[in-house]
Parts: sequence; structure tokens; C-alpha cells
Amino acid sequence: MYSLTMEDKSEIPPGTLYMLVLKTLARLGEMHGYGIAQHIQQISDDVLQVEEGSLYPALQRMLIKGWVVAEWKQSESNRRARFYRLTADGRKQLAREVKEFERVMAAIVRVIRPA
Amino acid sequence: MRELLRRFRHLLHRDEFERELEEEMRHHLALSAEQRGDAGASRQFGNITLLREESRSMWTWTIWEQFLQDLRYGLRSMAANPLFTAIATISLALGIGANTAIFSFMDAILLRTLPVKNPQELVVFQWRAKTQPGVIHGMTGSRFGDKTGINSPNFPYPAFQMLRANPDAVSTVFAYAVAYRHLNVVVHRQAEFAEGLYVSGGFYEGLGVTPAAGRLIGDEDDKTGAPAVAVLSWAYWQRRFDGNPAVVGQSILVNNLPFTIVGVSSPEFFGVNPGAQPDLYVPLHAVPSLSTFRQETERRDFFDGNYYWVEMMGRLRPGVSREQAQTVLSARFQQYASSTATTAKERVEFPALRLEDGAGGLDSLRRQYSKPLFVLMAMVGLILTIACANIASLLLARTAARRREIAVRLSMGAGRMRVIRQLLTESLLLSLIGGVAGLLVAVWGIRSLTWLLANGRERFTLHATLNWQVLLFTFVLAVITGTLFGLAPALQSTRVDLTAALKQVRANEGLGRTRRFGLGYVLVTAQIALSLLLVVGAGLFVRTVANLHSVNLGFNQEKLLLFSLDAKQAGYKDAALAQFYADLRDRFGQIPGVTSVGLSQFPLVAFYWNSTDIHIPGVALPEGEETGLSIVDPGFLPTMQIPILRGRGLEERDMTSPRVAVVNDEFVKKYFPNLNPLGRRFGLGKEKPADIEIVGVARKSLYNSVKEKETPALAYIPYTQNLDGLGRVFFELRAAGDPLSLVPAVRRLVHDASSNVPVAEVKTQSAQIDETISEERTFAELCSGFAALALGIACVGLYGTMAYAVTRRTSAIGIRVALGAMRGQIAWMVLREVLAVAAVGVVAGLSVAWATTRFVESYLFGMKQHDPWVLAGAVVVLVAAAGAAGFGPAWRAARIDPLVALRHE
Repeated sequence: MYSLTMEDKSEIPPGTLYMLVLKTLARLGEMHGYGIAQHIQQISDDVLQVEEGSLYPALQRMLIKGWVVAEWKQSESNRRARFYRLTADGRKQLAREVKEFERVMAAIVRVIRPA
Repeated sequence: MRELLRRFRHLLHRDEFERELEEEMRHHLALSAEQRGDAGASRQFGNITLLREESRSMWTWTIWEQFLQDLRYGLRSMAANPLFTAIATISLALGIGANTAIFSFMDAILLRTLPVKNPQELVVFQWRAKTQPGVIHGMTGSRFGDKTGINSPNFPYPAFQMLRANPDAVSTVFAYAVAYRHLNVVVHRQAEFAEGLYVSGGFYEGLGVTPAAGRLIGDEDDKTGAPAVAVLSWAYWQRRFDGNPAVVGQSILVNNLPFTIVGVSSPEFFGVNPGAQPDLYVPLHAVPSLSTFRQETERRDFFDGNYYWVEMMGRLRPGVSREQAQTVLSARFQQYASSTATTAKERVEFPALRLEDGAGGLDSLRRQYSKPLFVLMAMVGLILTIACANIASLLLARTAARRREIAVRLSMGAGRMRVIRQLLTESLLLSLIGGVAGLLVAVWGIRSLTWLLANGRERFTLHATLNWQVLLFTFVLAVITGTLFGLAPALQSTRVDLTAALKQVRANEGLGRTRRFGLGYVLVTAQIALSLLLVVGAGLFVRTVANLHSVNLGFNQEKLLLFSLDAKQAGYKDAALAQFYADLRDRFGQIPGVTSVGLSQFPLVAFYWNSTDIHIPGVALPEGEETGLSIVDPGFLPTMQIPILRGRGLEERDMTSPRVAVVNDEFVKKYFPNLNPLGRRFGLGKEKPADIEIVGVARKSLYNSVKEKETPALAYIPYTQNLDGLGRVFFELRAAGDPLSLVPAVRRLVHDASSNVPVAEVKTQSAQIDETISEERTFAELCSGFAALALGIACVGLYGTMAYAVTRRTSAIGIRVALGAMRGQIAWMVLREVLAVAAVGVVAGLSVAWATTRFVESYLFGMKQHDPWVLAGAVVVLVAAAGAAGFGPAWRAARIDPLVALRHE
């Protein structure tokens, strides 16, 4: 069983979910929703917890924007699953978002670093 | 762009997308279940429905989809509650429609401008005085008085000439005079009455009216000795001449004189009075030739500075205000009037000239209808208020009853906004349907109001068109009501404690009455109060009409046909004229179905009045004493079934013999109290011999109006005694059956006697009397209709509120029954509540009625504004109606089975 308390997990910072999903897809190539959520959780050492309630609407949004495409395939466990893949637009978007995030992050770090 | 394409694809393959999303989530669920064990999986996933809706809403079309869904659902729920839907729609439709119709009429009457060039520059001339000015020796036209004095638009012709000669403040002044007697127009040997207007040479030019054919009347036509010309109105040209342009230059007979048609005025021009549309325009200077006494009329009309008869309008010079022009012109007219005064008595007060706004033309119609319309508007405003209150209380009650449904939807995962939107869609849908139905009611209402106001007149000229602004306004009002009262309970009920709502047990719902003074009850009480107001109004008007109908006429109005003939206009004179009428009278008497024929100068109870100076040898009378006259033939009194009390009635021999008269008993009471009047003589007119012998006394009957306070002293004189004054006459035909069935025979006989004499003013005596009380009847009919409507709406509102209240309290009532309450007690509990609401409403309504009925007091007859019978009757009607409305819910409450009720939870 698991016994995680609230302190162990964090909400994903607002506005970064798209970036995390895009980055995950960039790294894994093709993945279904569950896999994406798992991946983010593992890589972040369980700090970042992706709520399904936000993941699937976000994926839909990215489909509309054309950043990802989806395809139904057999998964590793022999189930039918929808696999998402990055498009060229998605790659550009990822670069933009990462750049923007690092800029903001650096700024925040400068503000909170002890003088 | 590509994004839009993708959205379209989604729309087309929506079901597929839905399935895929569903499957994707199942997949997710399965995987996480595998990992964690079954227990927490679905809980952890959260609200699946909401999630699905959110994912779907990403594709944007959802908002429309949901709207369509809401619409479908709304329609379905409306169909499921036909009573609610019908009540709400009908009350909205009536509120919106009736208001629009009435306001459209107000607009047509009060706000319409003349269809001429720059109407805002026009002014209408009037004079005003505290008492009848002495300089006015004679007058033809209208005057109207109020508490502060008298007003009239009539002026002497020399004053018009003087004002026209100095065009400094007003660029043009033009004059006109209404032809009070219809003109007898013969076209193609067919005689017909037409409405005429006499106009000065500058009339059309001053108004800026253009001809549709030929030319219009100019200065060269309006002088003594000019060729006789006439201009047709566009409507008359269409009706009588089929719009044939060849009529220009043709000759027609007007009052037996040839006139040349020179042109037709433009289609939109209806004259200067929205209430009267003349057919024929002829120059002012044609008035003497059309009159009976040509030379005398000419002298009086054009050279007598003390004879007031022409009306005037003018056009202000640019930059000159109405006040400035009035200052200049009234000083000039004052000078004129003082120059016409010859005695000190005539100098006491001169008429003061005033300029009125002329953009809307003359205001006779406004004076006539504006007050009744304001009363109507107030009534209709009440209806709209009641309708809105009704919608509000129905929506409140319904949402309260739907708490459970809403709770179910919320617990199934519907978003709060989604539920609110659903409820809003429903109330908007309702308002929309009500609005469309209101449009129909408005169109129909305008038609029936035209019919009511025209009141049987053949050519009623007031035509209202649907006023879209008003329709929009009332509609928006209805929508706002619907939204407000749909939204408030929606917000409230979406914030409910789900568990409690699902169980239908509310914390504040005890065993007794709940929220007795809630908004719903306030609304219902208000409706009852307003309905009472309308019922009181209806009662007052209905009783007024009943009083008017039950007035003792003094004659028999049943089965009596009236019509008028004017052979004088067709050229008959003096003895030949009298003979023409006498011959026709004999022939009318031979029509099968006619039992008796009479002839008179005018019919009874038709607002006609004829009186003249009287002097009686041996009886001292005050100076200027007048007696009423009835110029008749021997058949009149028997035909009207007015009994002779003493002496004899008029006989055929009296038509040629020495002068005799029959008088009424009022005459005897006034001039010969306690004396035998038979054989006494009196004289009519100043300085005429007292040569009329009284041969009989007739019982008094009403003379000019059913509302006359006292019957005047009256003398019945044979029409042959004053041949100079003989002109138009009315015939009275007493029929054995339907009097109107005699009309074709009458027309044929008249046409056989002379094709130049038209039969006019054909109606029954009863219709004639009804016409004189049309205003009261219209009020009674409309107000009864409105009151019934208001009562119906209010009762339905009460029923709805109580029915829902009972539904809500089913379990509480069930417990009471289980504990041993009698059915009667339960029913009484509900009824008591209904009656309490009714009582509060009635008290409120009565106090408002007490304060406001004085506004209609001038329309009442034979009763006081606080008539106890009417007030008591209204209270009884309302309490009975409320009881009836409450009976259904009470009966249902009494029949509640405790087992079912308790299991209800």
C-alpha cells in the first residue's frame, strides 16, 4: 500500500502542464495518457502529481492546437490505447515554453536567493 | 485555420470522439486499478461526468450543443406541464399584446404628425376667454370649455384677412372651415353624402401639399365670382372614381350645383384633423352658394366682423418661436377685436389669441380619446403587472418543486453553471413563446380596438399601426421578469444541501405552514389586490351601463328604424319639399311589416337639441326664456308610443290649419302649474305673435341624451309650420319584425322618388341610443374583459402556488393524517391559508380602489364612486374565486394517504 501525505506531492505549477506533457512526449516519442502521467510522476520523484481531471482536457486542447496527434494502438499490456505523438508545431511550442519557463524561473530564483 | 477544420471534424464525428474518450479513460482507470488495487481507483479519478464534459467543452461546439440540449429539455418539460406552460404563455401574451395594442393607439392619437412638409413649423390659431365674449355675435364651429374658461378655433373672416396681410411672424396664414352638413354629391346620377372641407386659397401651399393629379385650389379659385372648383381627396378619388385620372376636368353636382374637379391631393394627405378625413375640398368662397340663404350667408361670412366661423393655421418663419409669434399676433387680434366692439358690454372681455402646436394637426381626437385611453392604459398596465407577478410566482413555485430534480442532476455530476443555464434557458424559452403569442394578441387587439372605438361608424379614420418599439419594450420587460425570477430560485436551489434535498426534507420545513410570507405569497397577494381593483372598475362601469339602459326613456325604442333624407340639398324647396317628405312617408307606411311611420327634425336621444325663445301672454317669463322644440309630423308621437295625457295629439288637419302644438307635461308644469293648458296660446321667437294653440299634452320622454338630468319643457310643432327651416329630416319606422330588414325597400322607394336624394344615417333607435353611451359601454366591455382576465390569471397563480405548497408538504400532511387529523381539518388548513392570502389581497386592493376610483368618476352614471354594492360584489367575487382556486389543492391535500406520503421520502 502507499501512504503519501499531502506534503510529499505538489500540484503542478499553473501553466506548466502543457510543457511537461510536451517534454514527456519529446522524450518518449509515443505514449498514452496514463503513461504520460506515470512518467511525469516518476521523473519528478513523485513530487509532481498529474490529475487525470486536468490531463485529458489538456490533451484534447493540444490536439485542437495541433501540437500532438493521437493514434489508437496496442499497448505493452495488450490493451487498446490512444497514443499521443509530438508534431513539428508541438516541438516548436515546447521550445517556446521551455525558454519562457527558464526565463521566469531564473527571475524567481534571483528574487528568492539570499542576498 | 487548420484548427477550425479539426473542430469541424470533431463535430462530424462527435460520437466517435466520445467513444474514444470514454475508452481512453477506461484504459487509464484499468491501469491505475492494476497498480493500486481496485479500491480507490474510481474515487481517485473523481467526477467522470464532469471530466468528460470538460474534455468535450474543449472542442467549443459544446456550448451550442448544450444550448440545443437545454432547448430540447425545456420544450420537453414544457410539454410535460401543459397547464403551467399554458398559463404562463397566456398571461405573458395578454400582458405584452394588450399593452402594445393600447400604446399603438396612444401613439396614433397623441403623437402622430401631419404628413406635410416641416410639420413642426405649423401652428393652430385658437382663442380663449373666461366667459363668452360679447363681441362674438354668432358662431359656427366647435368650442370646448373647462373650469378656467372656453376655447375655440373659430375666427371671423376679416380677422383672417388682417392677419394674412401682415406676414411678419408667420410666413403664411391659411384658413379652412368644416362643412358640418354633409355635402350631397351626385356622380353618374348616383347621390351620396360626402364630408367636405372649405379651404382658403393658401391652404395647400401653406401646408406644402402636392397634387396627385391635376392641380390644387389656389388664391385665384377662392374669391367671389370665381368658377366653382373642387379637389378630391386621394381616398375619395380611389373609392368613388376608381382612381381614374380622367375625372380631372369633369363636372359633378354638389348640393345640386355644378363643380369642376381640378385635381386630387397627394395620397398621404388626410386633411388637418387626424379624426376626420374630408372627401372633397372646395374654396371658402363657395360656402354661400352651397348654403340655403346665399346672400345672407355671404354677408355674414365675409363681411360680419363679429361672426366667428373660419379656423386658421400658419407656418412660423424660420427662427421665430411660437411664443414670439403669439405675442405679435395676439396684440394684433386684440386690436381687431376691440375695433369690432360697439357697446361697453362687448368690451368687458375680448377673446385672446393663442398659438397651439400644429405639428399633429387639430386635436379634437386627442381631446375625445386621450382620457379614455389613459384609463385603458392604466388597466392594461395592471394586467401586465399581474402577468409578470404570475410568471414570477409560477417560476418560483416550480423551481421549488424541482429542487429534487436539480439535486439529482447535481449529484449525477452536472456543473452548477450548467444547471443554472438550463433553468435560464427554460424561462427565456417561455418568455419567447409568450412574446410571439403577444405579437398575435397585439395585432388582433389593434383590430378589435379600432372596431370598438369606431363603434359602428362607417368611415372611422383613426388607424393605428403596430408599434414595434412598444412591443419590444413590453417583450424585454417580460424577458427580464422571466430571467430574474428564473435565476433567483435557480441560484438558490443549486446551492442546496444535496442529501437533504434528495430526501425532500428541508431544515426549515416543519409540520405547519412554511414560509407563509415568502416571495411567492407576496406576489399572489399583490395579484389578488390588483385583480380586485380591476373587478371594482368593471363593476362600476357595468353598473353604469345597466343604469343607463334602465333609464326610463318615455318612449318605446324596440323595433324602430331611423334614417335621414335631405331633399333640400337635391333642390326641393318649401311646399314641394314638404310634399316630397309627405309622399314618401305615405309610401313607407305601405311597406309590408311597417306598422307606423313618423317624421321628425332629428331623432330622440341622439345629442340633438333645438330650442328657441318663448313668450306666453299672461305668464311672466324671465328674459331669454327658451323652450325645447321637436319639429314633427302627426305620426311621430304614436310611432314613438309617447302617450297623450290630455287633449289630443297632432293630426293631419293640423298640417295646413291654424298653428297648433302639443306640449309635454314638463312644459305644463313649468308654465301652467295647476292650470288647464288646453286652448292657451304661446309664441316662438322674439317679436312673433303668440299664435300657437296648445291642443294636447304628451307625457315627457328623454330628449337629447339618456344622461340628461331633467327633461326640458318641450313643444311638438308640425314641420309644415316653418317651411324656411325645413331641410334634412329623419324618419322613424316602427316594424313588426326586424327593423333593419326594411332598409332595401326604403332605399328603393327613395331612389324611385328621386335619384338625387341619398338615404343616410340608417340605424335602429336602440343602436342610436347605444351610440350615445358608447364610451361607457366600451369601458364596461373592456374593463369586464380585463377584470375576468386578471381574476383568471390571479386565480391560476394562487392555484399554482398552493398546489406546489401542498406537494412540498406532502410528508408533513401525511404525518398529521397518521396522527389522527381528519380530512376536513387538512382541507381547512389549506383553504384557510388561501383565504388568508385572499383577505390580505382584498384589503390591500380595497384601499387602493378607494383612493383611485375618483379618476373614473366622470364616467359613472347614477351611482357614487364608492358604490357599496360594487365594492361588496367585488370582494365576494374575489373571495369566491380564491376559494375555487384553493379548493383543488385543499382537496388533494385531504386525500393524501399517510402511507404513501411517508414512503415519499
